[in-house]
Amino acid sequence: MAEEGRGRYLFAVTRGLSEGALGGVSGLRSHPVEVVECHGLQAVVGTVDLEEFGEEAVTRNLEDLAWLEEVARTHNDVVFAVASRATVAPMRLVTICSDDDSVRRRVEDLHEALEAALDRVEGRQEWSVKAYAAPEPAPASAVAEAPSASSGAEGLAYLQRKKAAAEQRRSAGEQSARVADELHHRLAGASVAGRLLAPQDPRLTGRSDPMILNAAYLVSVEDADSFRELASEVAREHPSVVVEVEGPWPPYSFATLE
Amino acid sequence: MTASPSTSTGTSSVVPLSDARQVSLVDILDRLLGTGVVLAGDVVISLAGVDLVQVRLHALITSVRADMPGMRVPQEVDRGR
Repeated sequence: MAEEGRGRYLFAVTRGLSEGALGGVSGLRSHPVEVVECHGLQAVVGTVDLEEFGEEAVTRNLEDLAWLEEVARTHNDVVFAVASRATVAPMRLVTICSDDDSVRRRVEDLHEALEAALDRVEGRQEWSVKAYAAPEPAPASAVAEAPSASSGAEGLAYLQRKKAAAEQRRSAGEQSARVADELHHRLAGASVAGRLLAPQDPRLTGRSDPMILNAAYLVSVEDADSFRELASEVAREHPSVVVEVEGPWPPYSFATLE
Repeated sequence: MTASPSTSTGTSSVVPLSDARQVSLVDILDRLLGTGVVLAGDVVISLAGVDLVQVRLHALITSVRADMPGMRVPQEVDRGR
C-alpha cells in the first residue's frame, strides 16, 4: 500500500509467478519489486515518490535524457527478470497508480484483454531484426573530383559520371527496399507474428549505413534456432545488406491489448 | 553463427541477450514507448506527451552525440535526393 506522497509504478502484469520468485529484484530508486495479486494475474509494482513521478514532475523529467535512461533501463531490467520466470505483459513506460487498490481495480478492468495478451505470448519470445544497406563500393572513378579547368569535354564527362553515380545510388536504394521486404516476409512466415517498427535514424544508431528494416518477431522458444538460421540464409543470398538479429527479448511488441 | 557484429556485406550477426544491460537505449524506448500494455494509471501522461518525448529525445540524443568528443554526428550526405 502506498503512503502519502508515494505511488505504485507498474512494470508488468504476469501470470504463474511463484511466490517470492522476484526476491532480490530491485525497482526504481532501490525500492524492491513487489507483487500485487489480481485474481489469478499478478501486477509487478514498485514504490515511487510522487515528487519525482507525479504528473508535473514526470513531464519535466522526461526531458532529461539521463533520467529517462535510468527509468527506462530499470523498467527493462525488471521486465527481463519477470520474463525469465513467468509469462509477461510489459507495461508502457511510466504507468503509475496511487495505491494497490487502484492497481487491482485497473488490472481487473482489463482482465480478459490481459489474459488474451498473455495467452498470445506464452512460450514465445520476441526477436529483433534490423537490416542495413551495406556500405556501397567506391565508384570506379572519383566522382567528387570536379574538373579544375572546365574544358567542355571534361565538364561533360564529369556530369555524366555524376549522373551515373546518382542512378546507381537510386537503384541501390530500390534494391535494398526489395531485400528488406523479402526478409520481412520470410521471417514473418517463420514466426507467430511480425511487427514493423520505424527504422531508426542514423543519428540514433550511430552508424552511417541507412537502416532499411527494423522489425520484431514473435517466435516459439523451440523455433528460435531455425528462425535465426533463416535470417542468416536470407543475408547470405543478398550481399547488399547486413542483418542483425538480437534477442530473445520479452514480448514487448506482442503482449498488447486488442 | 557469430556474435560479433560485422560490417562486411551479406552477413548476419546474432547478438544473444543474456543480459538486459546489453541492449541499446533506443531499442528499449522503441518498445517501452511504442508498444507495451497501455493501462491508464492515476498519473496521467497523455499520449500526446509520449509523442512529444520521442521528438524531444531525438533532439536530445542528437545534441548529446554532437557534444561528445570523438562522437561525430554523421553528416547529412547526399543520398541521391
